[in-house]
Formats: sequence, structure tokens, C-alpha cells
Amino acid sequence: MRFAAAHKAATYLLVACAYVAMIAGGGVSPLIALAGAVGLVGSWWWEPPLVRFERWSWVWTVASLFALVYSVLTAIVTGDFLGVGAQFLVWLVVAKAYNRRAARDWQQIYLLSFLMLVAGSVLDPDLTYGVCFLGYVIAATWAMTLFHLRREMEDNLLVKHAADRASERVEVRRILDSKRIVGARFFVGTGALSFGVFLISAAVFLALPRVGFGFFLKTKNSLVLRGFADTVKLGGHGLLKDDPTVVMRVEVASQIGGRNAPEIHWRGVAFDQYRSGTWRVSHDAPSTLDIVDSPRPGVERHTLNWIWSRPSEGDAIERVGARQDIWLEPLDSDAMFGASLPRVFERAGQLRRPNRTNMQNDELRLEHSGTIHYTVWSQLAPPPVTVLRKASGPLPPNYQVYLQLPLDEISPRTIALAHKIADGKSNNYDKAVAIREWLVDNLGYTLELVEPRRGQEPLDFFLFDRKKGHCEYFASAFAIMARIVGIPTREVDGFLGGEWNEYQGYVAVRAGDAHAWDEVFFPGSGWVTFDPTPPDRNDPLGRGGEGWRAKMSRLMDTMRFQWTKWVIEYDLVAQLSLFRDLGSALKHGATELRDVLVRVVRLWPLLVGIGGIVLAVVLFQRRRALALAPTSGGPPRGRTSIGRVYDAVGRRLAKAGFARPPAQTPRELVARVPQAIADDVRELTELYYSAEWGGNIDPAAERRAAELAAAIRAALDRPATA
Amino acid sequence: MRIRWWRPPRRLSFTREGRIAVFLSIGVGFAAINTGNNLLYLLLGWILSFIIASGVLSEATLKGLVVTRRPPPRIYASEPFLMEVVIANEKTRRASYSIEVEDLEGTRPIDKRCYFLKIPEGKQQRTSYRHTFVRRGQYTLTGYRLATKFPFALFRKSRDVDAPLEVLVYPARVPVSRPPPRTANRGDAVADRLGRRGEFHGLREHRSGDDRRDVHWKSSARTGRLLVREYEDELARRLVIVVDNALPDDVRDAVTANADTAGPVTEPGPWSQGFGAMTPALDAQVAALERAISTAASLASAYLAAGWTVELAARGTRVPAGTGKLHEAAISRALALLPYVSEAVAFAPLPPRIESVLVQPRGVIANGRPSAGTVLEV
Repeated sequence: MRFAAAHKAATYLLVACAYVAMIAGGGVSPLIALAGAVGLVGSWWWEPPLVRFERWSWVWTVASLFALVYSVLTAIVTGDFLGVGAQFLVWLVVAKAYNRRAARDWQQIYLLSFLMLVAGSVLDPDLTYGVCFLGYVIAATWAMTLFHLRREMEDNLLVKHAADRASERVEVRRILDSKRIVGARFFVGTGALSFGVFLISAAVFLALPRVGFGFFLKTKNSLVLRGFADTVKLGGHGLLKDDPTVVMRVEVASQIGGRNAPEIHWRGVAFDQYRSGTWRVSHDAPSTLDIVDSPRPGVERHTLNWIWSRPSEGDAIERVGARQDIWLEPLDSDAMFGASLPRVFERAGQLRRPNRTNMQNDELRLEHSGTIHYTVWSQLAPPPVTVLRKASGPLPPNYQVYLQLPLDEISPRTIALAHKIADGKSNNYDKAVAIREWLVDNLGYTLELVEPRRGQEPLDFFLFDRKKGHCEYFASAFAIMARIVGIPTREVDGFLGGEWNEYQGYVAVRAGDAHAWDEVFFPGSGWVTFDPTPPDRNDPLGRGGEGWRAKMSRLMDTMRFQWTKWVIEYDLVAQLSLFRDLGSALKHGATELRDVLVRVVRLWPLLVGIGGIVLAVVLFQRRRALALAPTSGGPPRGRTSIGRVYDAVGRRLAKAGFARPPAQTPRELVARVPQAIADDVRELTELYYSAEWGGNIDPAAERRAAELAAAIRAALDRPATA
Repeated sequence: MRIRWWRPPRRLSFTREGRIAVFLSIGVGFAAINTGNNLLYLLLGWILSFIIASGVLSEATLKGLVVTRRPPPRIYASEPFLMEVVIANEKTRRASYSIEVEDLEGTRPIDKRCYFLKIPEGKQQRTSYRHTFVRRGQYTLTGYRLATKFPFALFRKSRDVDAPLEVLVYPARVPVSRPPPRTANRGDAVADRLGRRGEFHGLREHRSGDDRRDVHWKSSARTGRLLVREYEDELARRLVIVVDNALPDDVRDAVTANADTAGPVTEPGPWSQGFGAMTPALDAQVAALERAISTAASLASAYLAAGWTVELAARGTRVPAGTGKLHEAAISRALALLPYVSEAVAFAPLPPRIESVLVQPRGVIANGRPSAGTVLEV
């Protein structure tokens, strides 16, 4: 490849990576992003001899001024400094690409590309960014090295000195066009080097202490999901049960993970007030009892004190509860999810104190933007049935809200049905179970929504006319019917189950896993989960398919999860735990090290990728080495017998003061030796030439050489003549 | 070739790009800590590892390089010469890129540097730089400096290697006209024969330094070897060149006063340059003596080129009569190293009845000058 072309290609690759990294986040409007891309591609050909840069420079200057003024004004008007800044960056890099005259212009292109990467880091924390970053690292190594060589050539190399005339400059073009300076080997070598750079970057990244102040936290477009707002309207939009967008990923203990493990209810928000087919959180609903402490430096712990519940001491729950590590994507809700019933939330502390929202119904809401990582300890098992059957006593203060009924709206036949199902039972638990079983047995599940008649209460329509519906109908019907028979109940929204990812051992919870169920209060025992929705035979998402496409998509999700876990949400807690792992592995030796290795080996998709690249590089280099190796291999040729005789004479001559410097030929040496031996040395030299370089060796010549050597030695040993 | 122990083995200096990189890493680092944005940490990690890789690679590229410097056989003061620089890459697997070589005078590099774009593994490359020594004398190039900005031009890393190289600088060449002989003790040495090269003696093989005009092309073509003509020894034309290298005591004291601390002289200028204790008046005397030495050297070359046998005499120094290129080198060498002495130092006795030229510096008064056939005051 021509040197100049190689440099140009590497630079454009660099700019392309940075450009994609920036625009992939969507911070730049698609039209501008497309125009910028087209402009960059066009600039490839915009260079001499096709175009003379100087003739157009004024156009670019004027246009840049205009772009600057426009950007400043837009930024002031819209307030979106980041987006406008990114747009201005697009303009600048395109303008520079059309004006790459001198070394300084190239430098500025590199600087701009880096700024684009910085902008992209705020705009696009997706896996695309990671891929672009890897490409950028490789391209930067190429481009910077080639740029350095190019500039050194232009500055330094191109003066040719001569003794008899003034030094002259060598034509730059000729060297820039040379194909001998860089080749495939250069690119492979520096590519391998940049891979090393990438690994060091990763190590530095993991090692840099994460003590942030968090003044300007990044924001990411959040996913709008129904069901987690302050109100939920029954029968509004249908739930998008086939939406595979991952909303959170959960690493769980193996006994509750796995493809065949029971599905977990990921509890989010709860509602207490039902009116006009809409669930709300009423003003009177009990506030969440959230105890905040800091068990370790840099860690914030929220212990939810569920009333009438089991031990509330956080440390105790952390010992007995089921632990989950959750990476929650940004949603339009600030609710924190956890396996039902979640008791303790822990996350890396942030110094910025969010505005405390009023939290009720045992929800935990923490303001967050961007992906958030936290750990939850939950009590999964409900109290024993015998205990629940015996549960009795007064309701805690404010718990009357869980018995609220819009009696003016609920139809008499609904009330009658509830009593008909439950009245025969002696305790609240059996009543609740009876209602659930009646719903599961008698009603069907469907996502097809049919609007009730005007004026008909939605639950009445569901129970008696439609006789099928989705989870929100079931949960609402259960709650209302339970309240009718005097059982304190609330409706809960969250997610159910999720796709089990076998590659990394985590549960990917998708938007389509959104679910609604109920919690029933038993005095003395607390809240117990009741899910009255019949198991869905046609769940399009389920636990994830077995086909290769499903597996591929899970593999992709694994990579995305690793990116989120180890890059986006890598925090002080993760760092400390990594260091702890490494430290104890070193301390405890091989066993621990093996465990860590096992954990690393779990990253096998990544390892296979890296191994493949390394193997390809090695194979490529071997192939080249074989291709380049001299065809007639073997050790270097030895001296001939006459050559050795000549060497011996040479050594003797050197001792006598006639050493032959490397720059002198044997014939030149002949001219320097004393007259007395000159003829012998000359003849020996000619024999040596003939034998060593002409291949003429015969016994006569060897004999003659030995005679001459002896004669020369004898002459040198006579001091008088020497 | 060993690295001096008191010198740091490597020097690093930032280039403009390096300063930008450091500036960027500080900026990104600040932003990362401030925002807690992990991608900024990633970028910071990249810049830092880029800098680390740059250091490792520049180290690898400087390794296994051996430089040989080859000065030309004759170097004259105030006249540019080409120093050949040969660099060999002794590494077996890796090429070295973008190497700069500078000669060191003391610990300071001289003003010229040689650049090598690529030195393949196991190969050597040569180039040369043009340099001028302003004054005659013995110079020592203490070593050389290998430097590189490879691979990303973030730093310039250099390594000084001790490799003393003695360079003898002959007196500057000045245009001279050979004065016609004054002492007509040899009647046959008439003016019309001076331009000739003497009587033909025979042929011999060409040696390094022979005048190319002496090549006997016909015989060379016939034998396949380069043969040159040899001429009859021209004892007939002998000359003694006498230089008066005496300087008054105060001038010599002024010259030697600050010589040790003076830096190298790189630009032609007043002789007082570099010598702190000189005044313009004293300076004129030194300049005149240097002119005399240059004139004597040029005169010797001119006579020797014309086939004369030339002898050199100065206070405390004498080069016996001789002829040919080698003899010219001997005389030039003696003149290159000719010290300033007191007028108490006597001349060696001049041989009798031999033509002589006395070159004496204008404005320098000294006793004990011999009487010569011709006196040149310069």
C-alpha cells in the first residue's frame, strides 16, 4: 500500500469509529448525522490534484463562522448544549476533512475524533460504543504511527547531502508514494500492539479508583413502560407481552435461577386505591419504612421495615435472604425492583442526595438516570400455611386503605360472586385461595382487548361478560373480591420470570415480562404474594427459546450485559469486590485462583473472540514468514580451505602491522604490504578470490596457497626485510 | 561504548503532541471523577496506556542500534565536510523506525542530526551530515545521541552513548600564489618547468590518494588494473617553509585564560569568541598568527602539488623534508596542532642553501626569526 494512502485510510477509519460512536446514541439528529457521513465520504477525494485547497479555504472559513454562530444561538435557545456541541463537532470534522493540507490539519482531525469519542461517551453508553472504541484504539495506533512517520519524513529525512555541492531536498511525493515503507506486516504488527494497548486500557480502567462526586450524571433515554406510573388504568393499552427489550438483568443464586426454576415475581410498585377502573396510590396509604444506613464505606443500604414482618435487622436478612444483583435499565419510573418480597437494597453510595419522593405501600423509589446496579436481599418463602390460617388481630394504623372499595361503582353481582366464593371458608387465607382458584379455573387469559359497554364497570365486564383478560384484570378482580370479603389486599405491578441466560447465569427480564398480581395482608405475618392469573400457555417470551436464533440473541444479550456490568455500571463496590477476589486469590493460592479463573472462563464468548483474533494474527504472520523466507535455507556457507589459509595469513599480516580494515578489499591490501612479499600476497589473494568467490578449488591451488602462505610467513619472520 | 554512570540512561522530553495528550488525560480524568461516567474512565485508561505503549516501543526501537561515524580523511577549518554515519540494527526480529543520531561534543549535541526512517532488522543504513569546524586543532566527539519520537511522537526519548572519536582539523585553506624562488642556487629550476610534473619513472598500481591525473589509462585498460605514472624524484626543487608561531606572553595568557570553560565555537567570527579575557588588540594578533598558519599550510600544499620537496620549520616544531600526499598530511597535521609559544623558543636550524619562505603574522613582534629567502607577512 502506498504510504500516503495507508495513512489516509487509517485516519478515515479512526474518524469513522469516533463518528459512529458519537452518533449511535442518537444525540445528533439523523439528518445531520447522515449529512456528516456523506460529507466525510466525499472528502476522501477532495484533495490535489483534483482540488486546490487554497481556492476554497475562504468558503470553509465563512461557513464555519456561520456554523459557530448558528450553534451558539441554537444552544442558547434549546438549552441542549451537549446535542448542539455534538452537531458542531460533526461540522468541524467534516470541514477539517476537506482542508487537510498540513500536518497541523491532520493533528486537529485526531483531536476532533477524540472529542467525538468523549461526546459519544455521554450520549451512547451502549455496546455499539464498545465496538467503536475497540476500532478506534486500533485505528488510532495505525494513524498516529503513520502520521508521525509522515511528519518526520517531511521535516527531517528529505535533505540529501553532498560533499561537492549544496544539500538538496528530496522530492517528498516520491517517498509518500513508496510502497516499501509500510506493508501488511506493519498493519498486523501495530494491530497486535493496539490490542496490547487495549488490554492495558482495560487494566487501567479496572484499577482506577472509582471515587466520583457525580455532579453531572449522564442521562439516557428511558424506556416508557406502562404500569409503573402513579396510576394504572385498567383496559387502557394492552401490555406489550412480546416486547423483548431487556429492562433489567439479575444475577441470582443458582437454586432460584436456571431454566426450570420457579418464576420470580419482581416487585416494583403497589397500589391501594381503586376507582373508575384505575389503580392509584392514595394519600392515606402507609409510607414505606425505609431505614437508611451505611454498612461499609461508600455503600448505601435501605432496609424496608415491612410491618408485622420478620426480623428487620439488615445484617440478619443479608444472611438468610435470597441475594440478587440487579442491573436496571433506565425506566420512566424510579421504582426499584426486587424479588418479592424485597427487604434490603444496597448500592454504591452516591454523594448526591436525590430528592426523596414520598414512598408508600412498601415501594422503594430512588431517583436514577442511566443503568443502575444494586443488590437486593429478599424473603422468597411465604410464612407456613398453618400460621397464615391462624392469622388474626387488629389492622395496623392506616391499613384501612387496603379495604377501600368504590361501592357506588362495583356491581352487585360482583359482590355476590365474591361472597359466594369465599363465605364458606373459615379464615382469610382459605378465602383468598378460593378466590384465586376460582379466577384461575373459570376465566381465560387473553391479550386481545375489548372495551366494555359505556357505563359498565370494567371488572363486571371482565367477570361476567368477557370472561377473559390479562393479568391486570385478574389482579384487580382478585383485589376487589378479596376486599369485598374483608381481606386487606393491594395490587402490585412488576415483572414475572424472565429469560434464563445460560451463558452467564443470569435472568434477563424483558419489557414483555411485565405482570400484575396481588399482596394480601395477614396480621402478625405480613404481606403474602397471591398471583391469580392463570399460567399462560401462549407466553411468547417465556424462559427463552431453544432455537439457534434465541441462543444467538441470548449471546448478544450476554455481551451487552457484560458491557453494562463491567463498563457502564462498574462502581466502587464492583471494584472493591474485584480487588478482594484478586487479593484473596493471591493469598489463598491455587484454589482461589482457580475459582477466579473459572469465573473468567465463564466469559468464554469473549475469550473465544480474542483467541480467534490472536490465532488469525499468528497464522497470518507465519504465512508471511514462510513466504518471505529465503528459498535455499540452511546454515551460512563455510570458508573454503584456501579461504582459511588466507585468513591465517591475514592474521599474521595484521600482527606485522598490515591489518585490513573492514572498508578495504583484499586487493587494496596487496598495495600496502612491503615490496618483498607483495608478489606472494598478490598471488595468494587472487587464489583466494578465485576459490572463495569463484568456486575454483583444486588440489594444485590448495598446494600453491599453502606454499605462498609459508613463504609470506617466512619473509615476515625475517625482521630485516620486514 | 558504555553509558556514563552519572548521566540518566534515558532522557524524555515532551513534544507538542505529548503535551496535548497529557492535557487531555488530565481533562478526561477530571471529567471522569466528576461525572462518574465509566466511559470517560475507559478513555482515560486508553490515553494512559497509549503513553505507556509509546514508552515501551520507543525503548524497543532504540535497542540494539550501533552507530559508526566515519570522518573524511581530511578536514579543513572553516570548510564544510561530510561526516558519514552508519547505523546498524543488531536486533534479529524487529525493525527500528524513525531514529535520529546526533554527534556529541562534550555532553552537547552539535547542531546537525541525521534521520533514519527505517532500519530493517539485521541491516545497516548510512547517511551523512554536513558540518564545519571553525578552528584548526584536535577535536573529540565524545559520543553520539540516539533519539526517537517513535511511535506516536508523544515524547522524544534519547540515549547517549560514549564513543569517543578524535578528529583532526587542518588549518583553513587560503588561496596562495607560490612566490618565485629567490635564491638561484639551482640554476636548472627555471620557471618554465614548474608547471610540469617531472621526468617519467615508471608505472605502479594505483593507491588510495593518488592524483587521478596520473592514471595511465592505456596501460590500465590493457592490464585491467588501475596503473599510475611515477616520476623522478625532484630533489632539485626543495623548500623550507618557516612559520613564526610566537605570541607575546600577554596574548597567550589571554588565550589560555578561559579556554577550559569556553564552549565550542560554531560560527566563524572574531578569535576572541569563547575566550573571555581577549581584547580586540590581542585578538588581532591571534587572528594574524592563525592566518599565517593557514597560509603556511596552503603554501606547503601548493608546493607539494607542484612536486617540490618541502620542509616545515617553526618554533619547537620541525617536519623533515619530504614529498607527496603523505608528506602533505604530515605537514598539515603539524600545523593543525601547532601551539602558540614564547619567542624564547628557538627555531630549528634551517638547512643551508635551501630555498626558504618565512610566513610571519602581521602585527606580531617577535625576536629570533631566521633570515629567509622570501618573507610573507600576512
